[in-house]
Formats: sequence, C-alpha cells, structure tokens
Amino acid sequence: MPIFLGYVPVGMAFGVIATTIGFTTVQAVVCSATALAGAGQFIALNLMQDGADVTAVIMATTVVNLRYVLFGATLSPYLRGMPLPQQALLAFTLTDETFAVNVNDRRRALSTGASMAGVGAVAWCGWVAGTAIGALAAGWIGDPSRWGVDFAMPAMFIALLIALAEERRHIAVAALAGVLAIALPALSNIGLPLPDSWIIVIASMGAATIGAVSFRER
Amino acid sequence: MSDDYIWTVIVLMALANFLVRFPPIAIVSRLALPEPIGRWLGLVPAAVMGALVAGEVLRPDGEYLLTLSNPYLLATVPTALVYAKTRSFLGATLAGVLFFVAVRALLDWGAL
Repeated sequence: MPIFLGYVPVGMAFGVIATTIGFTTVQAVVCSATALAGAGQFIALNLMQDGADVTAVIMATTVVNLRYVLFGATLSPYLRGMPLPQQALLAFTLTDETFAVNVNDRRRALSTGASMAGVGAVAWCGWVAGTAIGALAAGWIGDPSRWGVDFAMPAMFIALLIALAEERRHIAVAALAGVLAIALPALSNIGLPLPDSWIIVIASMGAATIGAVSFRER
Repeated sequence: MSDDYIWTVIVLMALANFLVRFPPIAIVSRLALPEPIGRWLGLVPAAVMGALVAGEVLRPDGEYLLTLSNPYLLATVPTALVYAKTRSFLGATLAGVLFFVAVRALLDWGAL
C-alpha cells in the first residue's frame, strides 16, 4: 500500500505537466501506462518542451533508465527458473520503488513470484491513476508551478539519491557526477557546447567509470 | 507540439523502457556478469541520481542558479532530511513540494 500512495502524487505531477505542455489526457495516461518510467518520463517532457528531436528524447529517457539494467541484473538471481512471460511482466513493472520493496521482502524471505507481480501491479495502478487525476485536474489547477510541482521531480530524485547512496563509494560517485553535470554546460563558454540532453548521460557514465576504476575492491 | 510527435515519443519510449528492463532479467538470470561490468553497473544508479539532482537544483530550466537564495537549493536540505528520517518516497516528495512553496514565498516576501 505505501508504494501505491508514493506513486500517486508523482504521477499527478506528471499528468499536470504533460497536459500543460500540450499532451491530451489520453496521451498522458497512455504514456504512463506503457512506459512506467518515472524520472525518464519527466526528462522526456523537459526536452519535448524545448522542442528536442525524437532521437534526443528517447536517448535521454533510455540513459536515465539505464539503472534498470542494474536493477534487473540484481534481481535476476531471485528469478532463476521463472518462465520468460512472467519475467517479462516483472521487467515491465520494475521501478525504483518496486525494486527496493522486492529486495527488502526478499531479504526477509517474504517474496514470491506472485508477491512480486502484486507489488508491480499496485505500483502501475498508482502511477496510472495519479497521471489521470493530474491530467484531468490540470484545467482547474491553473498554473501548476503555483503548487510547487516544479519541485516534485527534484524531491523524488533527492529521496532516490539518498536511498541509493548507501556506501561511501556511491556518495563519492554521486558527488562527482553532480559536479560534472554542473561543470559540463560551462564548456559552451569556451566554444565546446554540449546539448543539455547529453549532460546527464556524459556526467553519470563518466563518474561511474572513474569510480569503477578507482574503487577496485568491492 | 504536434500529435504525431507526441505519439511517436510515447511509442518509442515504451519500447525503450521495456528494452532496458527485460533483457538484463532474461539474460543475467541465466549467466554471470564479468566483475568490472558489475562494479560499473553498481555505481551507475547513484551517479545518475547525483547528476540529476545537481542539474535540477543548481541549474533549473537550464539556467545557472548558484546563489544561496535559490529556492531549489534551500528546499533540498529539509527534503533530504525527511527522506533520511522516514524512508518514505511519498513523505519526501510531498514534504519537498511544501518546503519549496514555503521557501519561494519567503524569498518573494524578502524574508530570506
């Protein structure tokens, strides 16, 4: 249940922002229902608003969601011997929160294939319902920034950052990525402009690579 | 923004998001990852979040805001504390939005 509630406000923020930049309610809901990408969807809205081309939008959302490669790899030992269709369903509903809940349940030996599917279904319902509410309410909410939705996504990222940065090497790599993300755009001043959509990609991959080389012992 | 553009992004984004999630589960549950790749992957999530938070907070809307009267920056600290204390994404997100609105109002009134 907490996971359902956690997704509703962020889904609402997505619904409000999406309809504000030109999505119809149906498009906003279909987008949430098929992508279930949280941060990746917000990044896409950000870039679409600036008129970025389709390739740049898809690249950015993919890179932001590359962490799911790791989440999938981390969960996969639990899923040995599970049939492919069931793995596909779990993959589709894999998000930051469902990952955290499943790993936690697993440690306490509470997790089964059915419980993981249940967690995924609940998260999906919360995200889609939140998007629908946000998109429908956008009309009478008026200017969404009045309600502070500009900060809904940063707030979620801040919480995820703390949840993920559990060891010192994670904190070091996150700090390095942050410095790079702020420093790289300044390169345009010395005649080396980087499109904003690439900043996150380059900063995070660069920091992870430097970290992987520096912290040899696990 | 054209309808075609939005639908194209929606369809490709759905595909892209499934493709980053499914193959790792399908393949890795059947083999072992080489150690350096595993170590690199282990650092990617924190790196992505660090880059995202820094960009969102210190360069909102693509404009540098490196001052102490930056409402994003001022709201970050209490939001982080709420999450660290409660371990609730819902609590942290709602509290963050409230902090942000409050800080922005205080800045507008010249109280900060």
